[in-house]
Amino acid sequence: MNERVQLEVPATSLDDSHDEDELLRAVEEHGVGFKVTFTLLGMVILFCWAIFGRQLLRGLGVTGLNQPVSWGFYIVNFVFFIGISHAGTLISAILRLTQAEWRRPITRMAEIITVVVLAIGGLHPVLDLGRPDRMLNIFTSGRLQSPLLWDVCSISAYFMASTVYLFLPMIPDIALLRDRGARPHWFYAFLSWGWQGTPRQHAVLERAIAILMILVIPIAISVHTVISYIFAMTLQPGWHSTIFGPYFVVGAIFSGIAALMVVMIVLRRVFHLERFLKPIHFDHLAKLLLVMSLLWFYFTFCEYITAFFGNEPSEMRVFFYKFSGGFAPYFWGMVACNFLIPVVLLAFRRFRTIPGILFASIAVVIGMWLERLNIVIPSLANPRLPYPTGFYVPSLVEWAIFIGAFASFILGYAIFSRFFPLISVWEIKEGKKHSLAATSERVRGYLPDPLPQKVIGGESS
Amino acid sequence: MSQDTVSERMEQRVIFGLQVLSVSMIWVFCLGICAWVIHLLLLSHQLHDVPSASVGISIVAIPVFITGASVLTYVFIGLQRGGVAPNAGGEKREDS
Repeated sequence: MNERVQLEVPATSLDDSHDEDELLRAVEEHGVGFKVTFTLLGMVILFCWAIFGRQLLRGLGVTGLNQPVSWGFYIVNFVFFIGISHAGTLISAILRLTQAEWRRPITRMAEIITVVVLAIGGLHPVLDLGRPDRMLNIFTSGRLQSPLLWDVCSISAYFMASTVYLFLPMIPDIALLRDRGARPHWFYAFLSWGWQGTPRQHAVLERAIAILMILVIPIAISVHTVISYIFAMTLQPGWHSTIFGPYFVVGAIFSGIAALMVVMIVLRRVFHLERFLKPIHFDHLAKLLLVMSLLWFYFTFCEYITAFFGNEPSEMRVFFYKFSGGFAPYFWGMVACNFLIPVVLLAFRRFRTIPGILFASIAVVIGMWLERLNIVIPSLANPRLPYPTGFYVPSLVEWAIFIGAFASFILGYAIFSRFFPLISVWEIKEGKKHSLAATSERVRGYLPDPLPQKVIGGESS
Repeated sequence: MSQDTVSERMEQRVIFGLQVLSVSMIWVFCLGICAWVIHLLLLSHQLHDVPSASVGISIVAIPVFITGASVLTYVFIGLQRGGVAPNAGGEKREDS
């Protein structure tokens, strides 16, 4: 007899009457906290833009950029933020595609990171131009042969696909807010696109999400590969590497997962989402982060051992500049933050607690920023041509933009949480109603098929 | 017909008009990108620049933008057609 394993689920966990209220509370009952956050962050951002005004008036001379180090914080932050953007759409798409059921409370938070961070990161090359009006030259006389233009294309495509991928799964929740009378009513009615939750509408939405999640994965991979080409297509020592594409993609996913976990832990605390974001979610993501940490170390090792073994003089100048020269603190800091700390904290169950995961994730975010710094500056400071070693110290304007970028990220997230639920309400409901049956059906599919009656009869006879 | 019903219908029509406009804007954006890429291709041809990379990038980029806009349009039309008319009995999924 083929016995079916019945999954025991406590009745209370299937009761979703409170879930909706809890998840929509931040939208419907926003208090003084949002206004205070908005005002403070708005002031910080305005102050930073005011400082940036100096650059608009006086040009790039007010930054620490000069020859030979002509790329600094702006490009470091550009690469860093675009890397973080891989948290969202890519991870969300992979989890959806693999039908990982634990994805449900995570995906939207991840997708928001992508959209907010892409907007911030994409702005940095414009700041690096010195005069933003020069951006128009790209439209009139850009060269598509240049990897910089490939970047413009791939980041625009990723931004568009990520925005659509964030918006579509939000439609049922926006309609829910519309039906519950959330204000402004016209805003939710406009964005809900006439959603009434009919089976036909569900079918349309699910098909569209399925198309997008497949489309988004190659685009996301292409984005960071193309960013690596900005460096790898030059003949600069330390940049001209064949593994830069996958190395950048691995680093991007690595930093993305870490940023996602920091955001999740903070929002869990701020919005009291402990019932939805459970330790098991962090445990799964922490294991993923650990794997990415090992993978990152492997790529870093491959990158440097090849340069060291080749012993090419200009490569070795960059190599020793990082290992024992002026950039040694940043290089070894990067190794500690990206490898030692996460491996120690995440490999042992004793340390894999939420505070431990938060500490490891913050370390990885800092470490990945240091990695971008280590890629951009040392190669420019030690060019192939016989120049003396370059020198770069970021100026006040660059620090201001750096702080402003982080403040913009927090503000973007705060504004989103004011208008939309941070966890997908309909996906949680759907999970409660259908996932248990779907998962048990899938597990049964993995198990060996029952023997045909004839064989059983033959054996018994 | 009461005043409220008239103003509600008016509001619905305005919102629908804005929704159509927003979907149209996506197409304007996509077609703008396509026109820009084609302009750069023609420019590189005029300047006798190496065309291979330009052609490769445009072959990848243009379909991506068009697919994105198409998916959005498909959802918009699908949701409008798949909805229940006011006062008509319709099946509604429990989790929505």
